[in-house]
Amino acid sequence: MGLTKRLSGVHVDHRKNTAGMPIIPMPVPEKVYIPMSMHIGAPCKPLVKAGDTVKVGQLIGDTDARIGAPIHSSVSGTVEAVIQGMTQLGKTDTSIVIKTDGKQELADTVVPPEINSFEDFIKAARDSGVVGLGGASFPMGAKLNIKPGTVDYLVINGAECEPYITVDHAVMLTYTRDIVDGIKAIMKWLQIPNTIIGIEGNKPDAIKAFNDVLAGDASIKVHELRQIYPQGAERVIIYECTGRKVSYGMLPLNAGCIVANVSSVLKLQHYLKTGLPLVSKYITVDGNIVVHPQNVEVPVGTMISDVIEFCGGLKEEPKKIVLGGPMMGRAIPRDDLAVMKANSAILCFNGAFAGQRKETACISCGRCVAACPMGLMPAKISRAFRDKDVEMLKEYEVLYCMDCGSCAYVCPARKPLNFEFRQAKAMVMEASKK
Amino acid sequence: MAERHTDLIVASAPHVCAPANTASIMRDVLIALIPALAVSVYVFGIRALILAVSCVIFCVFFEWLVRKIMKRDNTIGDLSAAVTGLILAFNLPVGLPIWMAAVGCLIAIVVVKQLFGGLGQNFANPAIVGRIALFIGFASPMATWVINSKMSPAIMAVAEVDAVTGATPLGLLAAGQQVPSNLEMFLGLISGSMGEISAAALILGGIYLIVRKVISPAIPVSFLATVAVLSLVFGLDPIFQLCAGGVMLGAIFMATDYVTSPITTSGRIIFGIGCGLFTMLIRVYASYPEGVSFAILLMNILTPHIDRLTRHKAFKPAPEGGAAK
Amino acid sequence: MKKTKLQILTNGIIRENPVLVLVLGTCPTLAISTQAINGLGMGVSVLVVLTCSNIMISALKRIIPDTVRIPCYIVVIASFVTMVQLALKAYLPSLDKALGVYIPLIVVNCIILGRAEAFAGKNSVIDSALDGIGMGIGYTLTATVMACIRELLGSGTIFGHAVTAGTITPFTIMVMAPGGFFIFGCLIALVNKLTKGKVKEKQQNKCLGCPGAALCSHVQEGGAEE
Repeated sequence: MGLTKRLSGVHVDHRKNTAGMPIIPMPVPEKVYIPMSMHIGAPCKPLVKAGDTVKVGQLIGDTDARIGAPIHSSVSGTVEAVIQGMTQLGKTDTSIVIKTDGKQELADTVVPPEINSFEDFIKAARDSGVVGLGGASFPMGAKLNIKPGTVDYLVINGAECEPYITVDHAVMLTYTRDIVDGIKAIMKWLQIPNTIIGIEGNKPDAIKAFNDVLAGDASIKVHELRQIYPQGAERVIIYECTGRKVSYGMLPLNAGCIVANVSSVLKLQHYLKTGLPLVSKYITVDGNIVVHPQNVEVPVGTMISDVIEFCGGLKEEPKKIVLGGPMMGRAIPRDDLAVMKANSAILCFNGAFAGQRKETACISCGRCVAACPMGLMPAKISRAFRDKDVEMLKEYEVLYCMDCGSCAYVCPARKPLNFEFRQAKAMVMEASKK
Repeated sequence: MAERHTDLIVASAPHVCAPANTASIMRDVLIALIPALAVSVYVFGIRALILAVSCVIFCVFFEWLVRKIMKRDNTIGDLSAAVTGLILAFNLPVGLPIWMAAVGCLIAIVVVKQLFGGLGQNFANPAIVGRIALFIGFASPMATWVINSKMSPAIMAVAEVDAVTGATPLGLLAAGQQVPSNLEMFLGLISGSMGEISAAALILGGIYLIVRKVISPAIPVSFLATVAVLSLVFGLDPIFQLCAGGVMLGAIFMATDYVTSPITTSGRIIFGIGCGLFTMLIRVYASYPEGVSFAILLMNILTPHIDRLTRHKAFKPAPEGGAAK
Repeated sequence: MKKTKLQILTNGIIRENPVLVLVLGTCPTLAISTQAINGLGMGVSVLVVLTCSNIMISALKRIIPDTVRIPCYIVVIASFVTMVQLALKAYLPSLDKALGVYIPLIVVNCIILGRAEAFAGKNSVIDSALDGIGMGIGYTLTATVMACIRELLGSGTIFGHAVTAGTITPFTIMVMAPGGFFIFGCLIALVNKLTKGKVKEKQQNKCLGCPGAALCSHVQEGGAEE
C-alpha cells in the first residue's frame, strides 16, 4: 500500500478572516474562573481557599494521578471563592474564582527549571501544565513519559485545517525559533531521531519561516500538507508525514510516533526557558457577527463573554457560539463560561448561520463515501444505525470513525452522520460488553 | 460586564456544511437537461415542450397526491419528481398522447418511487420503469416516430415509402437500410425519443454536471467506453452506436441516478461496464433494436450486490507486521 | 372457538381468502387471469375439485395412514382433476385450450392440498364440503375479479365484450406478467384494508398471524411468545 493511496477529505471553505493578524494580549479581566478539570484524566484538587492571595504562575490545583496536569493561576489577585458550577464541557465541576488586582505579579516559583536527566524533563513537562492544545487536551507530561529511544518520529501538527482558526499560523510565524527549540528539547531527552513538521500548503510563509530557522538541519523536516480537511487529525497527519497507519484502538506510540501541536510545543518551551507555566491561551475570535475578529492572548479562566467584548462585541444577537473550529468544535449553551487550556477559537454566529438544517432522505449520492478519510461508508453505517443493526455496524467498521465530520459536512440531505455514529459506536461497545 | 447570552443553540459538530443540498443537485440536473430540450424543441417543434411540461406537472402532482394520501411530509420541494418527469418525457416519442405519458408518470412516481418509500428507497430508476411499462404496454404508439423536414435525408427517405414506425437510426440499421451520417447523428437531426436525439446537447449537459460535481464521470465514461469497445468487437461503427438511441441519455442522466447506482467509484465502474455490455448484447442479439433502458434496469437491480462487493475497508495497518510497517 | 357452519362457508371468501390472505396457488392465478372467462373457468374447476376432494379425504381420513397421507391425498385430487379435465375437453374445448397445462396442474395446487391437510383431514364430511365450497368461491371470485381488471385494462374488454376497446388504446402490459403482479399486489392491499381489524388481531398472536399458520405443524395456540 505505502503512500500511494492518499486519504480522502473535504474541501472546506477556509474563511480565515484573521489570517496574518498578530496576536494581541488581552488585559486581565475583573475576575477569572479557573476550572479544575481542563484535561483528559483526573481532575485537580484546589490548593487554595477563599481569601488567599495568588500570583501569576502560582500552583493552585494539582492531582496525584499519572494522567493529569497541574493548574496555575493566570492572574494575580485574591481568591474569592471555590465554587461548583457548570463548565464548558457541560459538567458541574470545581472552579476557583480569583478577583484580579491588575498587577500581574509573577509568583516566586516562576524560575527556569533545571534539567539534567530524562526524569527532570518529564517533571518539567508535567509542571508546565501543558496539555494537548490542538483540542485533545491530553497532558503533555503523560504523553512524553515513554521509554527514551522507542519513538522514531516526532510529528509536529501545524496543519490547522479547520476554517476560521488562524492562531496556530500566527504562533508559527511569531515564535518559529521557540518552537524549533522546543522540538529540539523533546528530541534530545526522548532520543527521537526525526521530526516532521506538517503544515498545510496554504501557509507558505510559515513553511518558509521554519525552513529559514532550520537551515539545513537534517533531522527536522517540514512536510507540506494538502489543503484539505482533516489534515490535522492525528491519524491523518501521521499517515501523511510518515506513511504509518494508526487506527482505532491504537496510540501513535504503537506506530513509533508522537504527535504534538505547535502551540503545545511552544508553551512547553516557554516553561523550559522562563519557568512560566501555561496560564494564557492564544485564541482566534471570529464568526460572522464579531465586530473585530482577531487573534488574542487570553488568561485561562477568562469568561468567554469578556473575550468577545474585548473584540468589540457582537453586531447582533448570537444564536450559536462554538469553541474550536466549526468542523469539530463544541457549541456551548451560554457564554458565561470560562476559557480553558485547550480552546483555540471562539466563533460566534447569528441565527441565519446557526439555523437548524432540515434533514431529508438519503439519496445514496456517495459524497460521504468519497469524503471519509478513514475509508468508511457513512451512508451504509447510517442505514445500519437506523435499523439498530449492531452486526451491520460492525461489518461497516463504525468504530474506525474518528468523528471528523467530513461526511456530515458534504451530505446534501443534511444528515447528522457523525453524530449518529457516535451513538452507533456506543451501541457497538455496549453490545460487545455483553 | 458583558451582556450574557444563555439560550444559545447547542448542536453537534460540524457547524458548517457544503453548499450542495438535494434540491440544488436536482436543480443542476434540470439545468443540464435544458440543451437537449432545446434541440428537441428545435427538431420536433412546440409539441416537444408540451410533452415535457406535462410530464413534469404530472410527476409533481402524483408525488404531491401520494404523499398527501399517505399522510407524509411533502417532498415536491426537492425537485426530484420534476427531474423524473423531465427524464421520462425525454424517453418518449414526441407524438405520444398526453394521457399515455400520464400513465407513465403514475407508474414512475407512485408505483416505483413512493410505494417503495419515496426518494432514496426505490430500487429502480422511476423514469426507466415508467418508460419500459409504456414501451411494453403501448407498443405501437411508443414506436411511432415523428418525422419532419429538419431531419436527415436518410430518415426522410424511409418516411416516404414506409410507415413511420421503425424510422429511428437503429431501426434503419436493423432493417439494413441507409442510416444518417455520423454528424447528423451527433447533432440530433434524426428521429427518436424526444430527448435522446442530440448527443452533442446531452454531452454538454453531462459536462455541466461533472464540472458542478453533481455526477462523477465513472458511470458515463465506463458505460460509453464499453459500448464503443463492444461496437468494434461486433464490427459496428462505434460513433454511430454511441450517438444512436438512448445511450447518451442513459449513460449521462439515467444510469447516474444516485439512488439506483452504486455508491463507490469501483462499483460505479462495474455498473457502467454492465450497462454497456447489456445494451450492446440487446442491440446485437435481441429482438428489440434498442436496449439501453433494459440494461440500466438490470444493473439497477444488481446495485445492492455491487455495493456489497465493492465495500470499502477501513483505514488501518495491515493485520500482521503490526504498527512498525 | 368452534366455528358455525355459516362461518366455515364464508371463511374462504374474504377473511381467509386462499389467494389474497393465505397467498396459496399464486402461480396459476397469475398465469390464467388474463381474460375473465379463463379466470371464471379456472375458478369453477378449482371449486369442483376442491369440494369433491375435501369430501372424499374427510370421509377417508380414518382409513388413510398418517405417514402416507400426502400421496393418498394426491391420488384423490388427481382423480377429480382428471374428471374435470375430461369434462372440459368434452364440453368446453376452447376453455380447455386456453387454460392448457394449468388444469392438470391443479393436482399440485397448494390450495387444494393445503385445505386437505389443514381442514379436511381433521374435520367432518359436511364441514369439509362447506370449507371446500367456501374456499372455491373465494378462489373463483379472486381469479375472476383479477382477470376482469386485467382484461379491461390490458385489452379493453370484459368476457370478450368490448368496453373501452376501440376508443382507448389498451395498456397491454396489464395482461402480461408485470401487470398480473401489480393487480395481485393491489388486491392484497385492498383485502388487508378491508380486514384491517382482524389482521391486526391476528398479528398479535405472532405464530397464528402467519398466513401459513393453518398448515404449520409447529403452530402454537395463542402465539409463540410475547
